[in-house]
Amino acid sequence: MQLSMTEEKPIHQKCQQKSQQKTRIQNLKTAVQNYKPGVCTERAIIWTTYFNNRDNRKKPQVIQMAEALKDVLLKKSINIYPDELIVGNFSSKRVGGSIYPELHGVPVVEDVFKFSGRKTTPLQISGSEIWQLLKIVPFWLFKFLAIRAYKSPFKKIRFVFSQLRAVFYLINESGGISHLAPDYEKLIQIGTDGIIKEANQYQSSVPKKSEKYYFYEAVKIIAGGLAQFGERYAKLARNMAKDESDPVRKKELEAIEQACLQVPGKGAKTFQQAVQSLFFAQIAINLESLDNSVCPGRMDYYLFPYYKKDIQSGLISKEEAKEIVAAFSIKMSEIIPVFSKRITRFHGGMFSGQVVTVGGTDYDGNDSTNELTYIFLEVMDELRMRQPNYHARIHVKSPEKYINTINEILSNGGNSPALYNDDIIVEMLCKQGYKISDARNYTAVGCVEPVSQGKSFASTDAALLNVPILLELALNQGKRFNSLVRSGAKTMPVSKMKTMADVNHAFEIQLSFKLNKLIRDLKAVESANRRLHPTPLTSMLLDGCLKSGVCSTAGGAAYNFSGIQCVGPVDTGDALYAIEQAVFVDKRISIKDLVKLLKNNINDKKLRAYLRNLIKFGNDDEEADNRTIYVIKEFMKILKKHENTRGGKYVAGLYSVTAHQYFGEVTGALPHGRKKGESFASGIAPVNGMDKNGPTALINSVNRIDFTETANGINFNLKFDSLCLRGQTGLLALGNILKTYFRRGGMQVQVNIMDPKILLKARDNPELYPNLLVRVSGYSAYFNDLTQGMKDEIIRRTCITV
Amino acid sequence: MGTEKDKKHKNYAVIFDIQRFSLHDGPGIRTTIFFKGCPLSCAWCQNPESQKAGPEMAFYAEQCQESYACTGICPQNAILRAKQSRINYDRCDACGKCALECPFNALRIIGKNWHYKELVDESIKDKDYFLDSKGGVTLSGGEPVMHVKFLQNFLPLLKKHGIHVNIETCGVFKFKEIESILLYLDLIYYDIKHIDPKVHKQYTGADNRLILDNFTRMVKVFPKLQARIPIIPGVNNDRGNILATARFLKQNNQTSIHCLPYHSLGAAKLARINSGPAPFNLQSITAKDLLPIKQMFQGEGIHAVVYD
Ligand code: SF4
Ligand code: SF4
Repeated sequence: MQLSMTEEKPIHQKCQQKSQQKTRIQNLKTAVQNYKPGVCTERAIIWTTYFNNRDNRKKPQVIQMAEALKDVLLKKSINIYPDELIVGNFSSKRVGGSIYPELHGVPVVEDVFKFSGRKTTPLQISGSEIWQLLKIVPFWLFKFLAIRAYKSPFKKIRFVFSQLRAVFYLINESGGISHLAPDYEKLIQIGTDGIIKEANQYQSSVPKKSEKYYFYEAVKIIAGGLAQFGERYAKLARNMAKDESDPVRKKELEAIEQACLQVPGKGAKTFQQAVQSLFFAQIAINLESLDNSVCPGRMDYYLFPYYKKDIQSGLISKEEAKEIVAAFSIKMSEIIPVFSKRITRFHGGMFSGQVVTVGGTDYDGNDSTNELTYIFLEVMDELRMRQPNYHARIHVKSPEKYINTINEILSNGGNSPALYNDDIIVEMLCKQGYKISDARNYTAVGCVEPVSQGKSFASTDAALLNVPILLELALNQGKRFNSLVRSGAKTMPVSKMKTMADVNHAFEIQLSFKLNKLIRDLKAVESANRRLHPTPLTSMLLDGCLKSGVCSTAGGAAYNFSGIQCVGPVDTGDALYAIEQAVFVDKRISIKDLVKLLKNNINDKKLRAYLRNLIKFGNDDEEADNRTIYVIKEFMKILKKHENTRGGKYVAGLYSVTAHQYFGEVTGALPHGRKKGESFASGIAPVNGMDKNGPTALINSVNRIDFTETANGINFNLKFDSLCLRGQTGLLALGNILKTYFRRGGMQVQVNIMDPKILLKARDNPELYPNLLVRVSGYSAYFNDLTQGMKDEIIRRTCITV
Repeated sequence: MGTEKDKKHKNYAVIFDIQRFSLHDGPGIRTTIFFKGCPLSCAWCQNPESQKAGPEMAFYAEQCQESYACTGICPQNAILRAKQSRINYDRCDACGKCALECPFNALRIIGKNWHYKELVDESIKDKDYFLDSKGGVTLSGGEPVMHVKFLQNFLPLLKKHGIHVNIETCGVFKFKEIESILLYLDLIYYDIKHIDPKVHKQYTGADNRLILDNFTRMVKVFPKLQARIPIIPGVNNDRGNILATARFLKQNNQTSIHCLPYHSLGAAKLARINSGPAPFNLQSITAKDLLPIKQMFQGEGIHAVVYD
């Protein structure tokens, strides 16, 4: 009796505790989600004040950067919000974004009056904030990075204007680089004190006043600044604790104070401190350069020792650990990018690209999933917030429990995590020159790009190329369809093209012409970043920079790459295949007439239907699929001829965020029946609605691509209608289809189980979803071929079973 | 002439659809092959376009944009210019030429002749998924056994690839026909639509003696047989029929049955073709409606699995 009594008590306590946690997390989530995101001017103002000072501008560039960032960290406003366990603010607004006037600054400010009124992603900004921003415009007008990339005034103007209306390509790096997974493991372990110690040691062996000397100096300045940033929160927490009447909250605030006194200055002693330490750095790195794709990476892996220690010593329970993870996860949604409408077209949906990766292997290739892995997955699924982007690594020896957990989340309609295949990615990274242990410690950054945690400076979103438009040039001697001016290389007129080889040849010339131009501009931007915007904070958290005394922007990191996105390979491949079929095989139309038809935006319904009906990528047709593969290979061939200014390779990415839409808008009609201005297919997805043979056929097509070569990552968006994946049968099938995809060399996949409401949409707009299959035993039909009444019936059924 | 026709039956079969990633026609991920032609003509048929043996034309009036690209090319002069109908079926010989011309896919030919080798190539495209999911190929229709000569060529070749084969049959065949391919089958889904010969004849056009007879013979030689029943309200869902069916199964040492709730989706197809049974106006039912049936079976010691 006695025994059972004592047993009961803690259980009861636990329940109470659990519900308390639930409301805390719920409160935090609601506060962040209901907050209308705003623009924060603090970084811009403090930065400008620093550079306005002539004396400051005389210092070495790297010192200027460190001091300016330190000023931001010490002067920006700080807040601790109710219920918070992990503290720190990206901006002065609960949810907000900063402006980087020295980077993409002035073109962003073009929208300053429109931020709050615009339809897509409106941002709050007050009148006085607008005024503050306008005041700094003159200072930066001719000083932002893109305009300083070229010295000659003519080249300056050409470059800036070509980028304002990016038709052929867009260089993202002119907005800063970022895109890294910092070595948070090290920061958590030794703190900024440890890093300063290291910098001191290295510094003592280089000549005074040398470039390296100043680099170390800068590292010390910003490392110190980061520690002080933490101390500011300690002080704030102490003051708040004094005034706090609720004894529970008072205790929490005191604990926060303790944590912030410890980290990031010194090594973390507890799980909570470890998370707190990296979160401060997360804020600071976002404020240093581009606020895009600063990725905590493999948190379940490097935080596990802290978790385990605290659990074993009884310092925290599993539930408390989960609460800390959730509190952190919510904080990651407090940052948004401030983009002008122009840029939003490329990067839609308030994308911050902060990746947390779970699962995978350790340095030796053994499975690394642990209790924290599941905690992260649970938190992700329960919160379902905009940030961070959760990714999961999978390998042949991943435990069944892990795979099943993920499949269940996905088949319940969560579109995260995105899945990554270790077996292929590690091989791919090794091919790129990674040591195998570093390859095994990969995480994705940004959208989908695999890099080694704490070791790669891979500028994975350096630039994007509009590939289909080059076919337009190839079919018109290097001119746009509607233009008399030649914007590409001069290639053979179509009247002289006698075989498909002639067409391919012209395309290859246009591709290399524009891609070479892109790389030339990109290199100018790379050196501008190195000259004008070194990043000492980023560098101190990237292996290699301290040892070499070289900033990451100058190639100091252990691994260097630049990613260039091949946008629209599938449209290009389908278009080439259509030319071959229509002109050379079916002889349905001469190539001259085809071009005429394209110039007239395919104004012949019957021919358009014919062109659209030609087989496309994604239907398990080897010949059609090979066209897309050809385009990708040609793209890579050209990249291989170049090296970036940091001594790394240019690597191809097959993902497009929202650039496929924008590039589609500016591109003329194409031979596969696509009209002028229509969006391209995203990443390596088939052209919308053109995969007519279901998911297995689609995956067979995708599996034809050699993913040990696509070093900058791919995005494969696999959509299922909920009708098809209903019930336990659906769950099993999903797991199996993914298993096959990965076993055969698939690299990445993002599963989207479409909301049952999609069926309503499909009913009302049949052309949107032409190939939805109705799957009932022994029955065969397309959804579109049903009568209205039967569609309704299917909708009713699906909504019941889902 | 006769031998040539014979050769044709051996090498070719008319197939009206091949559905990859089928999840409800046997275990795992499957490719379901729908053979054309059926000895029965069930009033509730969900694939009415499967009943007629040869290829036939379908007209999808909603897709038609009245471009009339289809006129002028028809060798039989069978194209009509009415809004709701495009084909004069008295003249049409289903050559399919008009379907090739129609840019909007409003005219479609149902049923294509497949050579068995081609069909093997098509069937193994998803072999990797079969392997990982323990799935395979399902022969459905129509009645696949009507194509037994073809299957005698097709199945041995398919089995060389180590593929699991399921067949969905209505049970109307000469026993020796199915015997000749039994070796290549891993699973048989066997429909028992009604236990009473008269009612059976009334709704399907044939009585059920051959079906039940074949069933009894089959269970003795083939262990992996699975009985199935489509539950059609007002036709076979009465207590009497369910209990009689359960008893029949017990007599044949069967312990389970799969129940498929009736759905009226097949009716959508009727308007587009010129064959199949007369419209059968019944409301669809769902898995939930089958609960009492399930209990009746369970009461008799027959485990009933209800499809959704
Ligand atoms: S060609 Fe097609 S769309 Fe045109 S009238 Fe004939 S059936 Fe209708
Ligand atoms: S299938 Fe042949 S015969 Fe029938 S309507 Fe079309 S073209 Fe004429």
